[in-house]
Order: sequence, then C-alpha cells, then structure tokens
Amino acid sequence: MFSLLYGLWKYLFSKTEFHVLILGIDKAGKTTLLEKLKSMYSNLEGLPPDRIVPTVGLNIGRIEAEKTKLVFWDLGGQAGLRTIWEKYYEEAHAVIFVIDAACPHRFEDSKSALEKILRHTDLQGAPLLILANKQDLSGAVSAEEVARYLDLKELDERSHVFLAVSAYDGLGIRDAIEWSVNEMERSKRTELLRLRAGITGPVPA
Amino acid sequence: MGLLFSRLFSSLFGNKEARILVLGLDNAGKTTILYRLQMGEVVSTIPTIGFNVETVQYNNIKFQVWDLGGQTSIRPYWRCYFPNTQAIIYVVDSSDTDRLAIAKDEFHAILEEEELKGAIVLIYANKQDLPGALDDAAITEDLELHKIKSRQWAIFKTSAIKGEGLFEGLDWLSNTLKSGGG
Repeated sequence: MFSLLYGLWKYLFSKTEFHVLILGIDKAGKTTLLEKLKSMYSNLEGLPPDRIVPTVGLNIGRIEAEKTKLVFWDLGGQAGLRTIWEKYYEEAHAVIFVIDAACPHRFEDSKSALEKILRHTDLQGAPLLILANKQDLSGAVSAEEVARYLDLKELDERSHVFLAVSAYDGLGIRDAIEWSVNEMERSKRTELLRLRAGITGPVPA
Repeated sequence: MGLLFSRLFSSLFGNKEARILVLGLDNAGKTTILYRLQMGEVVSTIPTIGFNVETVQYNNIKFQVWDLGGQTSIRPYWRCYFPNTQAIIYVVDSSDTDRLAIAKDEFHAILEEEELKGAIVLIYANKQDLPGALDDAAITEDLELHKIKSRQWAIFKTSAIKGEGLFEGLDWLSNTLKSGGG
C-alpha cells in the first residue's frame, strides 16, 4: 500500500526529467550546441568551440530550464556512427535536429538522415525541433529556406518547428529550449514514457 | 609525447587524488599503451590475493591497470581500486574477434559497479595495425556501447605499437573531465 501511494505521489509531484536527443550529420554543430546549453543553463563552463573535436560516442549534458530537468544526449554524426542513433530513440522525449545552415551542399545528406528519423517507429510522436544553425556565419540561410529545401511531408503529422540559431554565440537558443519544454510537457509521448517508466521502475538518471 | 601528456593532464584535478582505470582482457595492449604514453615508471605489484595491478602515478592521477576475465574469486578485491575513479579506459584487441563477446560482457559488468557509476568511459579499439582488425563502428556495435545512457563515452581507433590514436583519446578524456564529466 505504501509503495502504491509513494508511486502515486512520485507520479504526481516529482520533477519530470526529459531526455532530448541532439542529432544531425557531422559538422552540424551538435556538441557546440550542447556545450552552449551547459554554459547558459548550468554552472558548468562548457567547452569553448575551438576545443571541440568530432564526437565519436555520446556526450551528455544535464541542465535545468523552464522549471524542468533536461538531459541531452549528443551522438556522433559521422555516417558510420549514425547506426547507433536509433538505439537511443525509445527513451527520448524529443529530438533536436541540427543543420549547418551555411553549408547548402550538405542539405541533401541532412534531409535523408532526417527522413530516417521521421520514419522510425520508436520515435513516434516525439516533438522535433529543427535548428538552422551557424547563423553567425554570413552564408547562413534562414530557417524558412531550410524548411523549404527539406520539403518533408512527413513533418505535417508531428509537432515541429524550424528555428534559426547560432550555437556559437547563443542566438535563438533560449527560444529553442522554451519551445522544446512546452511541447514535451503537453506531448502524448511524454505521458507514454512516464507510464512505461512507472511500470518498469524509475528511468536511470 | 611526455610533454603533450603533461599539457593535457596538468591541473586537471587540482590537488584532488584521482584515478583512471585501464581495463580490458589480457593481451589487449594495456601495458603497451602505458609505456607509449611515457608518463613515468610502470610499477607492477602482485598483492597476496593474487592479481596483478600495474600503476603509473602521474602528479595526483593514478593510472591503474589489470586484466579482466578469468578467475571470478578475486573480483571482490577489485573494489579496493574503485574509489575516486574519474574515468575508465577500456582497451580492446580489435583483431581478436573470437573474444569480443567476452570483452563485451566484462565491460558491462564493470560498468555496473556502484562506485564506478560516475566515471566516464574511453574505449580504445586497439591493434588497428593487425590485419582483420574491426573498425570503431564495428567495435561499437559488438561491445553494445549504446547501452550506456547515463555517462559519456567515446571510442578511438588505436595502435599502441605505432602510437596512433592514443592522444586523440586522451584529449577527449581531459576535455570531457574539464567540461563537467559524466
């Protein structure tokens, strides 16, 4: 009985922890984004962009924003490493897909990577934030232009938004996080993950 | 190389005692790696309980090496070496495909240890100089690295014999520890 009540109490009042996947092809700026998030939302300094090397594994960032706990999983984007992305889908509440907006000749690569994500059943209903990154560079195109280029019909059925950001100087990052938290809070997927966690025990932090 | 090493690791942990465990099956190349890094003298000790631990002390950081696998009776004694461990360097012989399944099991078993929960993990896909060595993507798959979800990890292709890839990995290690660790 106690454990039942405790479970209910925890269900109602514990601070939800959201898992957010940061995906995108190599050189999109995923780790730069993660480090920027750490420096903006936690007391960690975060690595300066010139110290960041290509990710060949998993980087993790834990922050608190908009009164919620967020855990970011930043996975390497090189073609050979993308096969592990899907292993992290099941537990993710939302996806941030990062695109280098200053590098149009790789939009096609981004598009096919994104298509695979959208098709994957393990990510059903997960809010999708698509970032037109590197707005600090003069050649960067707008979020609208990236959206037009990608032209993904699959997006219509899912909560999503295109935003222009610069992970380098922080432009647009707060709006991006605010959108993500709002969407996750009202997404059916969050409810689903919560129920699943309740049945099988707490999600490892 | 010694100089590069000191650039990476000086002042990393302040004055705090820190430990980095270098683990893997026998013959993975762990000791060769330690010698390659030229941090100092490798001291080998065999405690009475009978498992061989090699130690390199670098400033306040202890690098300690032992073989996983084999005798299960000595495993409880491993725990003496767990406190204050900031990182695990897991070394795999990428050409020893027959034993990759064992390497995987040993790896995940050690990650379960309560006192190592906070340690970040660097994987060396070693012996890339040998024919038939699997690449980083294949080792990632075989070791089931995706099961790691609550700590940071990275994998690097290395050849300890040629000295390749070792510092790239250590660079990641020191950056990650500096930026807040696991």
